[in-house]
Amino acid sequence: MGKKQIKIQIKKLGFYYKNQQIFENICIEFEKKSITSISGPSGQGKSSFLMALNRLWESIEDAKVKGTILMDFGNGFEDIYHKNYSVTELRQRVGMVFQVPNPLPMSIYKNIEFPLKLRGEKNKTIIAEKVEQALTESFLWDEVKDRLSSDAGLLSGGQQQRLCIARALVLEPQVLLLDEPTSSLDETSARVIEDLLVQLKKKCTIILVSHHIDQVDRIADNKLVLSDRRLEQK
Amino acid sequence: MQHREHIAGIIFWGATALSAGVTLAVLGFMVILSLPIIKNDMILEVLTGPWSPDHGLFGILPMIVGTLCIALLSLVVSFPVSLGCSIFIEIIRPDKPGRFLKKFVKLMTAVPTVIYGFVGVFLLVPQVRGFVSHGSGMCILSASLMLGLVISPTMILFFSQSFARVPKTYLNAVDALGGTQFQKLIYLLLPQAWPGILTGIILAFGRAMGDTLIALMISGNSVVLPTSPLDSARTLTAHIAMIIAADFDSIEFKTIFVCGGILYLMTSFGIFLARFSAGKQN
Amino acid sequence: MGKNVWDMLLGFFAWCCAILLVGSMILIIGFLILKGYKAISLELIFANTSPLEALLFKQQVFGGLFPAMVGTFFLILLSIGFALPLGLASGIFLAEYAPDSIKKIFSLCFDILAGVPSIVIGLFGFSITVLLHHSFNSQIFPCLLISALSLAFLVLPYIIKTTQVALESLPLLLRLTAPSLGATKLENIFLVLLPASISDITSGIVLAIGRCAEDTAVIMLTGVVAVAGIPKSIFSGFEALPFYIYYIASEYSDQFELMKGYGAAIILLLICAVLFGISHWVKEWLTAKTRFSY
Repeated sequence: MGKKQIKIQIKKLGFYYKNQQIFENICIEFEKKSITSISGPSGQGKSSFLMALNRLWESIEDAKVKGTILMDFGNGFEDIYHKNYSVTELRQRVGMVFQVPNPLPMSIYKNIEFPLKLRGEKNKTIIAEKVEQALTESFLWDEVKDRLSSDAGLLSGGQQQRLCIARALVLEPQVLLLDEPTSSLDETSARVIEDLLVQLKKKCTIILVSHHIDQVDRIADNKLVLSDRRLEQK
Repeated sequence: MQHREHIAGIIFWGATALSAGVTLAVLGFMVILSLPIIKNDMILEVLTGPWSPDHGLFGILPMIVGTLCIALLSLVVSFPVSLGCSIFIEIIRPDKPGRFLKKFVKLMTAVPTVIYGFVGVFLLVPQVRGFVSHGSGMCILSASLMLGLVISPTMILFFSQSFARVPKTYLNAVDALGGTQFQKLIYLLLPQAWPGILTGIILAFGRAMGDTLIALMISGNSVVLPTSPLDSARTLTAHIAMIIAADFDSIEFKTIFVCGGILYLMTSFGIFLARFSAGKQN
Repeated sequence: MGKNVWDMLLGFFAWCCAILLVGSMILIIGFLILKGYKAISLELIFANTSPLEALLFKQQVFGGLFPAMVGTFFLILLSIGFALPLGLASGIFLAEYAPDSIKKIFSLCFDILAGVPSIVIGLFGFSITVLLHHSFNSQIFPCLLISALSLAFLVLPYIIKTTQVALESLPLLLRLTAPSLGATKLENIFLVLLPASISDITSGIVLAIGRCAEDTAVIMLTGVVAVAGIPKSIFSGFEALPFYIYYIASEYSDQFELMKGYGAAIILLLICAVLFGISHWVKEWLTAKTRFSY
């Protein structure tokens, strides 16, 4: 068993919403290319914890974060809260998938293309390749390859969620955050996504918030519980 | 990229500041252009005296009274009907007839006031004239009837919204206890929704005070202080429209800015009141 | 359970009010249409000039409604041209950039502006003309430009409020989607948020257009006249439909002119009704296109 490679180091992380403390003093490390699950009672801050990792809480009013988060993207540890650190670049390296699928009101193709356009990619061939690659990695390519220009909203729930995963993957992030990604889906669709995540582990460090004990037991390499404002090993 | 974001933020802020500036500038101009009157210590005279330019009297009191009378009477005329309509929409027949009425009321807001004024002149005024058998038919009553129709949609939509906001759980509770519709209205809906109703009334009153065309076309525009609804009267708004043709440098002309200032202050006061009462329903 | 007496009275009262309201409106509209339908013809609009020549602005129309309709059209174009960018930008600022305290102050400000009577806005426009006349160019008089500017002030608070409310009512999940993919605030606003609220914003704009088409008080003080032909430039006088209607009501000299007044009233009513309808259907059509399920 080789030395553990750490992707993310978290020190004394605290989250506050409307001056109420959600959690405080969290210190934890996440291993590279593994799936870590976070479970725990509702309302304890699991979603907030994820949002601290891509700084998405900054788009929410009355939210505040304290502490340090260091991430290793290949050039040693970087402080993602450093004042010169570009938030938009961070989010291209740390992707997020939400509890409820949130396709943009556009076609399937345009949804996946969207992050590429944000990054300024103009070459249509490269875009087409990356779109296909992302959809393939999300186990969705075969189902949609003949209707890429149809409205993403017409897909089933499970398909929409895989679309959102593909969209998050198209920029090839090194970390993927998933907030209860299968809780709005049926059992079969959930299983497809679980298999997907196990495959993705080879490329990404995955942090998964999940309520399903079975799911956690099936796919998580490392199991954490967030409760009583503390994050601990199960 | 940061640079562009920053500039965009400044542009948006600037646009908002400019727009807000307009609000202040309107009042500012009214005050500044009324200065000749204020400086000559004529302001009290203007606010409380009668209007007779040939005798050097430039008081706008008749117009202030005219505005208040017409606005009040139109409110009196419109309130019961508006309340009845909103009760119809929300309580009596909330199904198809109610939905139709609501759409109809919304459509009413698209009708230009000049149309009401036009029809008022050729339909309503002759009727009032015939009914009353003296005068020209152009009086406070005629103007108020038309104006009442104009401000009804404002009140109806506001009242409906206030009734709709009463939590369903309360309504279910009254139903479960065997309450009738009438009891539901008196004991639950009105007490819960009265701030919204008050807000609607205040806003409608402001709207009525600010109307120009109907008053101009139907109220007769006499400068004598009115003593009955069948008297002709002039509102502040109509006064502005009429005196604008006068010589710019005359005191007569300057009084229209005082009118403008008063109207601005009156409607702004109404807005403050409405905000205050609207805050109470939440 | 028999119907309670009070309930019956209440129902009776409500029905009476509803019928009174609807009946009055039908009376008014019906009267207008009955009295004026005979006046509706091409001749009403174009008088003795051929419609084609008139539409191409090759020949002036005398005695027809065409110049007034053109005046109203340009008025709408210019005033929306002023008010739209300013209103959109302010609405975006209030919804996306302003902290709560600032939002409240500006909201109050714009509510006040929305409550100012239109004649006072017109007076403001007139005052600006006077100011420009004395300080800059004594050739400046009330004209199309000033009227359009004043109308812009009139509809500005509505556009701001519509934009602000439309953006604020977008669900949180939609607001977070683009940022989570690396979008900047500006990119989020223009690529996701505005397109998602386009239906509400557009219907608000169409209502503002309706407001510009129907207003009389503002333009009365800022440059509209009874006879001016097609406006030659933005600095010239102009005609407008609502003013024509008012003018006829007070100054008509014979039955023929009165009939033209009725005709103009019907046409204005039609224009406003169509705009109202467009606002409604545009909203439905666009909502279907930009629908998102969360």
